[in-house]
Amino acid sequence: MFGRTLRFALTLVAALLLLSCNRSKDGGATKIAVIPKGTTHEFWKAVHAGAVKASREIGVEIVWKGPLAEDDLKGQIDVVQSFVAQGVSGIVLAPLNDKALEKPVEGAVKANIPVVIFDSDLAGSAHKSFVATDNLAAGRLAGEKLAALLGQKGKIAVLRYQEGSASTQKREEGFLEAIRKMPEIKIVSDNQYGGATTESAFEKAESLLAAQSAGSGGVDGVFCPNESTTFGMLLALRKAGLAGKIKFVGFDASEKLVGALRDGHVDALVVQDPFKIGYEAVRAMAEILAGKPVAPRIDTGAVVVDKASLDKPETKAIVAPDLAPWLGK
Amino acid sequence: MSGVVAQGVTKAYGATTALAGVDLDVRAGEVHALLGENGAGKSTLVKILAGAVRPDGGRLTLDGAPFAPKDPAAARAAGVRLVSQERALCPHMTVEENVLLGGEPTRFGVLKREEARAIAARALLAIDPTGAKKHRLRPDALVRDLGPGERQLVEIARAITEPRCRLLLLDEPTSSLGADDVEALFAVVSRLREAGLAVVYISHHLDEIRRIADRFTVIRDGRTAGTGRVAEATPADIVTMMAGRSIEDLYPRSPRVPGDVVLSTQDLAGAGLPVRASLVLRRGEVLGIAGLVGSGRTELLRAIFGLDRVRRGEVRVGAYVGPASPAARLAQGVGLLSEDRGGEGLALGLTIADNVTLSRLVGLGPLGFVTPARMRAAAARFIEKLGVVCAGPDAPVGSLSGGNQQKVALARLLYHDVDVLLLDEPTRGVDVGARAAIYALIDRLACESNKAVLVVSSAAEELVGIADRIAVMHKGELGPARPVGELDVRAVMLEQAGAS
Amino acid sequence: MKYLRKYPFLGPLVAVVVVYVIFAIVAPGSFTRAENLTTMAGQTVVVGIAASGMTLVMLLGGIDLSVGSNVALSTVVCALCMRAGAPAILAAAAAMASGLLSGLVNGALVTTLRITPFIVTLGTMRALRGLAKGLADEQKIDAPSSGLDALVAPLPPGYGWALFPPGVWIMLATSGLVAAMLVYTKGGRHIVAIGSNEATARLCGVRVERVKWLVYGLAGLFAGLAGVMEFSTLTVGDPTDSVGLELEVIAAVVIGGGSLAGGEGSVAGALFGALLMTVIRTGSTYLGIDNWVQDIVTGGIVVTAVALDRARRASETRR
Repeated sequence: MFGRTLRFALTLVAALLLLSCNRSKDGGATKIAVIPKGTTHEFWKAVHAGAVKASREIGVEIVWKGPLAEDDLKGQIDVVQSFVAQGVSGIVLAPLNDKALEKPVEGAVKANIPVVIFDSDLAGSAHKSFVATDNLAAGRLAGEKLAALLGQKGKIAVLRYQEGSASTQKREEGFLEAIRKMPEIKIVSDNQYGGATTESAFEKAESLLAAQSAGSGGVDGVFCPNESTTFGMLLALRKAGLAGKIKFVGFDASEKLVGALRDGHVDALVVQDPFKIGYEAVRAMAEILAGKPVAPRIDTGAVVVDKASLDKPETKAIVAPDLAPWLGK
Repeated sequence: MSGVVAQGVTKAYGATTALAGVDLDVRAGEVHALLGENGAGKSTLVKILAGAVRPDGGRLTLDGAPFAPKDPAAARAAGVRLVSQERALCPHMTVEENVLLGGEPTRFGVLKREEARAIAARALLAIDPTGAKKHRLRPDALVRDLGPGERQLVEIARAITEPRCRLLLLDEPTSSLGADDVEALFAVVSRLREAGLAVVYISHHLDEIRRIADRFTVIRDGRTAGTGRVAEATPADIVTMMAGRSIEDLYPRSPRVPGDVVLSTQDLAGAGLPVRASLVLRRGEVLGIAGLVGSGRTELLRAIFGLDRVRRGEVRVGAYVGPASPAARLAQGVGLLSEDRGGEGLALGLTIADNVTLSRLVGLGPLGFVTPARMRAAAARFIEKLGVVCAGPDAPVGSLSGGNQQKVALARLLYHDVDVLLLDEPTRGVDVGARAAIYALIDRLACESNKAVLVVSSAAEELVGIADRIAVMHKGELGPARPVGELDVRAVMLEQAGAS
Repeated sequence: MKYLRKYPFLGPLVAVVVVYVIFAIVAPGSFTRAENLTTMAGQTVVVGIAASGMTLVMLLGGIDLSVGSNVALSTVVCALCMRAGAPAILAAAAAMASGLLSGLVNGALVTTLRITPFIVTLGTMRALRGLAKGLADEQKIDAPSSGLDALVAPLPPGYGWALFPPGVWIMLATSGLVAAMLVYTKGGRHIVAIGSNEATARLCGVRVERVKWLVYGLAGLFAGLAGVMEFSTLTVGDPTDSVGLELEVIAAVVIGGGSLAGGEGSVAGALFGALLMTVIRTGSTYLGIDNWVQDIVTGGIVVTAVALDRARRASETRR
């Protein structure tokens, strides 16, 4: 009885392993590890698809592996270390923390594994290239758009994301920079942080709107630097009955935010191009492996999407790219 | 003078008086029986001696010096050791570790292994001088692998490792032991007496008292009701002292007329035990099954009731043939009273009403719902019928004495209105008064209600008293059932020991 | 069978070997490289050290759900000290002290309030997490990690004779000490006794409350040490780190033969349990197995381990 159970369990484990390893073909071919911050968000699926597209064009193998738990710093470090121990040809990494991943990346470089950083920056200089949206420029875009929506005058508020998050801080900075050029626009609040989750952003947004008496014309326009703050703000505006009345520029394009754009509750979204980020990052790595020089900074751009431009094909390709050909689902 | 003396000891829990002034005088070198019905205060007195409970009043002396332990550790240090009724061993640990527990020889917290081994070896030699159980009672054997008798001996070994052990308290040491284990225990107790220990021995079995004890003290309602030399008192005297009234006939027996066969087994074998058991049970009769602990009696009942797997053979209940689940057996009118009252038989945390109605929650409210009022009413009927001493149907079963708990367990079977009652050790841990009530109930069930009753018991005397026929189980084989007229206690005991 | 019983860690050891061999066969050849072995050992350190403490707690019949938060708090304390310019050894000591303190609080709540450990540590899990976030001002703390960063990092060239990074040796030493404590000291036996039968232990004069305090304190101390190792890996103090670590630690102990009911557990077994999960994780990375498959396999192994253990017991008692 004991023996049978044991045999059954082992067979089960072996079968599962064999089943799931059909996509890894070894043979000395070029193998690039691509490590995102997480694997379940829509954003990362588009990045994945872009990476797959690049790998097919160039003819390299990629391994897509994020930390087991979403946003798990230790888990991501473990994954990097494992790929280094494995001796892959190159590592493409979206670091969860700009400092904590520095050592593992240095370790990879020491083991002669080149590293390309994408999406978020990393401290230090061990990596060969950084592929991401130019967040400062993207923030400026948002600022210009909101200013245009307001006719260059009015009172605006910013709901920041989180202290210590480099990419969103850059966006906020770019946004404020653009706004400060408009003498008739007054910034009534730029020191509130929405925090990590939609719930915390929603609560902060509510109190922010109340504090600035947004209901009685205290605020004419708002800006949020990422998906969770945008969504939190959207919920708060809807609850206060202000959606559509206050000009609202947000960041990133989830299905719900695009829906709100159609409803007129959001006036514009600054959208990054995750597909392009994944694509360019793998391309850059391939160039490095081929011994060609690559730029230390590759901007994958950002575009402003509003209701009018939403249904244009080039916008669609960014907002809702067709991932099926690449991910096979 | 050496020994322990208690004078006028009192103890109250809230409004309930447990002890109202008890005197006890136990001398070194004697086995002193402490007798009394459940709830009389024996346990409280023992706990006071062991330091687990502090008395409200009275005086205790140990070897002439005042004795007022503040906790079990203090009582231990003074040389008092309790072997309690609940098996107090750590099943995951070895015999040696259990024997030494709490008294490990150490230097700076680190065990002195050699000394530990020597102490354990000495203790094991004391409880097993002939080495008859050497193969089981190894120092490195895990306690969970031992039988109940061996566990009992390990507990005693632990109690006597203390070199200063002067008073040994044994609380119903034989309640889960078979006959041969009882013999081994008696041998050990006799030797401890010769070594000059004072032993307090609590038991419900008067035959045991007669064999092992020198003197006795009876406690009733928290007071000392009598004391004397065992040899000078008749069982009837003692029972009268305990109950405060004389019990004319512990075993009532109305004329019984056996009817149709309702339950039969043919060459029944379980996964391990029983090996082979055939029996026939009729309406209106009481069939007794004798046997030592571990002979397969409990397993036979469990296999019949569907709790254990049937490997071979046949069970027939009325017109149904073959194995069935416990739920199906209940539906067929078969009910089981577990020997493990606290662990399996009753939900001690729930109320009497919950426990009585647990197996059949129908007809207790509209549309299949259950209303507490009807549950209480249903339970109240049986509380009255069986004379359960309690605060009411809402009293938690855990708050009742052993005898009353057993009545609640029986009430569930009666409430379910089963035709076949499988009773496993129905009087274990039950005092004389409640025992008489249970015997009377069994008699009524067989005669008046025309039920079929199967009783498993370790006490041969009890079976001879209540059963119509008795079959003896030995090593998993069930012998033929014979009318009690052809048997006596001695014959049953010989047969269950495999000596016939 | 008899050996399994005497040395309960043999089961998980065999499992580690079997899973390792499976991966060695199906994964790319580099899986068996020495670097990978050292990397896997290094990645086991945090769970391994915390599992020593958890084994004690579970032997006692308790549980400590606050381990993950405690580790995160320790990384924060460690980082704060380093940032303030404290020497590495002092920062590590402070982190361990914070772990010990948290553990003693658990012990105090369990023994004095008589609340079940599950509830107590469910509470302190949240509270310690909040404390960590508050101390860190809700952000990751950048701090110089000089001195501590070498604990679990791959060995620098020229130190190959050490075989493993120092953190791995610290883990082995910790486990060794705890295992020895269980066998050779009075306190160790009392821990098992309480987990096996608390009433008996009390009856036998074991100071149950004191032992519980000690055990929860030790578990906290080990969580603090695990936090130092975690800081060494992260090089930042992260108040949101190690969410769910407690479940991984409990899984390691259970795979290693521990029982939630107390009285059973093996330090060495827990270590192999932790290693088993690292091997699966690393092997999955090598093969590019999707995370969801990896979750299923790890979960399946936990249940299988316990089921096999039960089957073994059943077959033993039948004899």
